[in-house]
Amino acid sequence: MKEVVYLSELEKIARLSKLGFSAEELQSFLRDINDIVAHFEKLNQLDLQDVSPTSHLGGGEPPFFSDEPQAWEGSEEVLKGAPWVAGGYFIVPRIVDKEEKENEDRRI
Amino acid sequence: MKIEEFKDFTIQDYHHLLEEKKISPLELVNIFLERIEEGEDKIHAFLFVNEEKAKNEAREKTDNWPEELPPLWGLPVAIKDNICTQGMPTTCGSKMLENFVSPYDATVVERLKAAGAIILGKTNMDEFAMGSSTENSTFGPTHNPLDLRRTPGGSSGGSAASVCALEAPCALGSDTGGSVRQPAAFCGVVGLRPTYGRVPRYGVVGLASSLDQAGPITRKVEDAITILEVISGKDSRDSTCAPYPPFSRNEIPSLEDIRKIKVGVPREYFSSRVEKVIGEKIQEALGKLKGEGVELVEVSLPHTDYALEAYYIVASAEASSNLARYDGVMYGLRVEGEDLQDMYFETRTLGFGKEVKRRIILGTYSLSSGHYDEYYLKSMKVRTLVRKDFEEALKQCNLLITPTTPSFPFFLGEETQDLYERYTDDIFTIPSALAGLPSLSLNCGYEGGLPVGLQIIGGPFEEGKLLGLALWLEKLLALPSPFPELKEGRGQ
Amino acid sequence: MSDFTTTIGLEVHCQLLTQAKMFCRCSTDYIGKEPNTLVCPVCLGLPGSLPVLNQKVVELALRAALALHCQILPQTLFHRKNYFYPDLPKGYQISQYNLPIGIDGFLEFYSQGVRKKARIRRIHIEEDAGKLVHEGAFLPPGTSGVDCNRCGIPLVEIVTEPDLSSPEEARDCLMMLRNIVCYLEVSDGNMEEGSLRCDANISLSSSSLTGVKVEVKNMNSFRSVYRALSYEVERQRKLLEEGKPVFQETRHWDEIKGVTVSARGKEEAEDYRYFPDPDLLPFSLKTEMIEEIKSGLLELPLEKEERFMTQYELSQGEAEILVQDREIADFFEDTLRNFNKPRMVCNWIVTEVFRNLKELGTTISRAKITPSHLAELLKMVDRKEISGTMAKSVLEEMFTSGARAREIVTRRGMALINDEKELENIVKEVIEKNPQSVADYLSGKEKALQFLIGQVMKETRGQADPELTRNILIKVLSSEE
Ligand SMILES: [Mg+2]
Ligand SMILES: [Zn+2]
Repeated sequence: MKEVVYLSELEKIARLSKLGFSAEELQSFLRDINDIVAHFEKLNQLDLQDVSPTSHLGGGEPPFFSDEPQAWEGSEEVLKGAPWVAGGYFIVPRIVDKEEKENEDRRI
Repeated sequence: MKIEEFKDFTIQDYHHLLEEKKISPLELVNIFLERIEEGEDKIHAFLFVNEEKAKNEAREKTDNWPEELPPLWGLPVAIKDNICTQGMPTTCGSKMLENFVSPYDATVVERLKAAGAIILGKTNMDEFAMGSSTENSTFGPTHNPLDLRRTPGGSSGGSAASVCALEAPCALGSDTGGSVRQPAAFCGVVGLRPTYGRVPRYGVVGLASSLDQAGPITRKVEDAITILEVISGKDSRDSTCAPYPPFSRNEIPSLEDIRKIKVGVPREYFSSRVEKVIGEKIQEALGKLKGEGVELVEVSLPHTDYALEAYYIVASAEASSNLARYDGVMYGLRVEGEDLQDMYFETRTLGFGKEVKRRIILGTYSLSSGHYDEYYLKSMKVRTLVRKDFEEALKQCNLLITPTTPSFPFFLGEETQDLYERYTDDIFTIPSALAGLPSLSLNCGYEGGLPVGLQIIGGPFEEGKLLGLALWLEKLLALPSPFPELKEGRGQ
Repeated sequence: MSDFTTTIGLEVHCQLLTQAKMFCRCSTDYIGKEPNTLVCPVCLGLPGSLPVLNQKVVELALRAALALHCQILPQTLFHRKNYFYPDLPKGYQISQYNLPIGIDGFLEFYSQGVRKKARIRRIHIEEDAGKLVHEGAFLPPGTSGVDCNRCGIPLVEIVTEPDLSSPEEARDCLMMLRNIVCYLEVSDGNMEEGSLRCDANISLSSSSLTGVKVEVKNMNSFRSVYRALSYEVERQRKLLEEGKPVFQETRHWDEIKGVTVSARGKEEAEDYRYFPDPDLLPFSLKTEMIEEIKSGLLELPLEKEERFMTQYELSQGEAEILVQDREIADFFEDTLRNFNKPRMVCNWIVTEVFRNLKELGTTISRAKITPSHLAELLKMVDRKEISGTMAKSVLEEMFTSGARAREIVTRRGMALINDEKELENIVKEVIEKNPQSVADYLSGKEKALQFLIGQVMKETRGQADPELTRNILIKVLSSEE
């Protein structure tokens, strides 16, 4: 089978997806994804130049809501069910890592 | 009353019993709980049986019997486990959400409750609705009540199996690429995928937002109508839900008008891919319609062959993004790690099963820089072509009839070597999903005890015509409702 | 030494002044609230939840886009920007990408007295993320906390072209931008509380060198924007003069140390995988809506400045100070309605009113004084019922007690002494006590007269009519000769 997706690329995709794989799993996923992507080649038979994409099916004007706040009563329940909460905050491992710090500032 | 007596019941029939006070909600709930008790170790349709609360609610209803009964008053309903139910688990068949209890109700659940329904429990499914066998459930597969060695289909396999085995009178499923229709076909029941935007998605856990649509799985077409009337209609919490009033049975044309309907038969759906017997059963059903004077026309949907590829890219891309929220921070599974990144990786690596990971990878790949145009954008363009195919075909006729699946339910554990082959199980249900069209699967006969699903596809928001034809066809076919004995091997 | 050209572009995030969040009905009033109390399934990203757009968000963003002379795209759409971070519950931010609400606008402002123009590349709508806390007694060791109260607050991101050529200009442009969003009531523009946030791209180039873009972040006030960019200009200039390369990178401003610090570029550029959010349908901005907002647009700072200059014959400097805060400008014009002497009102506002506001640490809208009360006070000064010195002291009390001028003047028994006889007696006393000044005056030193007037004022606790005092002094002194 023609390899379209390379291992290094798959590793990058896994990192982006925050998924860990063993070397063996990576190989199996590499086969799978190349299998699917190979079938995808079929779409190249189509002339799609002038076709507009369909990203949404709904037509017409979507609804808006008016700017009136409404409180939700379930927040305590969410905190109760959360993996780790302290002082009303969701707790995560400390963000100190430089890369993460950068991430934090880069956001938005 | 005994469960067998409900074999041919419609929701209307239960309603009449309740109206006449011949049975109480509590008795009704107890009968179904007993049936679940009897069937579950063989079928495993439920991930959670809402025993206590359902009984309490039924008792409460029994004590406060109103003059006028809402349409689903006292009726037990099973809900697919990716539809949020307040105070109950909503696991999506995943380890990731094993401990997640939803703090809110999906709009469809809210509407069922408002109509008086009692939530019987949550049904098994392929993890995050990815699969067509229910074998991808973290909590073990569901067995087809008609042949316990076989799959009930998926991803709404638990809902279809529960209705087939009469563990529940009706159920809700969700359909992204065929997840209501294919299991309905495999279990010999009715499965309706409404027009995209007909039923609110709020609270239906997103797999592929532009495709997902919740729908009823029932024993009779009549029941699909009743449920659709309750769950459909605009929702201020779902921007993609059409601003239309709920579906009404008044939209169904008279039998006289139904007889005048032109039925299109798309030639691409009767290729060599279809098992011979399935093709024959569909032709038989078409023959019956023709015998009644219905005009049949052959039509073509030329891009059918490309729909599958486009579907997997679009659905995986949307899923990869929809599933990013499962990171261990606020709910669901969390595996502690040395640092934040570690926690993310550990949580997601352990929390997701293989098929989910495969689709996240495929989806992330198709959206990543340098591949977007080649995969995602191209797929959305193919989607346009598939829609246009249907538009053209539906100019020549009013409704389309096709097989629901190319094959019979396969044996559990029957791993197909080729991943792509496995995806082709959905080739007949995917195109209308991509186009957002209403489609219904109806049993049109048995072969060796296994059911054959017939699919009717309609134009957008033309559920009226579609259900009208389905009602009539059901009557013409006059097939017995399933009531499996739950023995190993073939039932019925 | 070569001459370098500095090129700066800004990226400004503004929280929009809505009551409810962008895609859910939670309140936006998050400052000082208990963590995770203004949340719901939507802004927490719970499974199954869906966004529905707040109408007001579109209105406010449109208002800003139109005020910045942007072209409004006929159809707009939300994209998902995918990345993992604990303050981003869904794992993606709903933002606008290739179809923002506005493009190709411009902004005019004054920098060091010169009128400048910065082009606006785009303005788009997006949702804010939550807040992370890294310190606090409640935090278990080695952890950080996530508060989602801010999640889903609407923002507009305004991106300028790199049209700014100095740190001063960048600061002045940002100040004008803030003025505009405040004027339009699009945002409260508070940089300290983070409702206005600014990043900058800066590069230095010369005829022989093309610039390398450095992104500067973490600037939390106008002053720090100026300081950080000035630091960056010097840092880059030095490197270039030494023949060293400038790296394309992100740098953080360290307010305490007064330096920018490299955030060290990651080996892998972030891949946000933007794609159209399938949960939100594209929507069109109807012409009537655009026209309605356009016609409802309030006068912008620069327009007001120019009007003040022509209508009230103020200098550019005077007008600029008044329009910097819309409430001050309104206060000014409201005062004129009862006392139509623009120059005098302007002087009193930019000196005495500002001083009192500063001392009390308040703003004009929260202060106890009203435009009509100020007009009343100034009228008394104008009619010579009280002196300027008295008026200053009366104004102070008006600020603290909220009482009206006449009431204070009556209570304190303050009235201008304009009885000639009475004043003449005081003048004579002063002349007696200050023989040296009298001698100075008589020998031709005009300044000595001013001193003697001051002494009379002191004696009368400011209640002497200044002009009458002057006349009497001159008369008495001339008789001394
Ligand atoms: Mg941004
Ligand atoms: Zn909210």
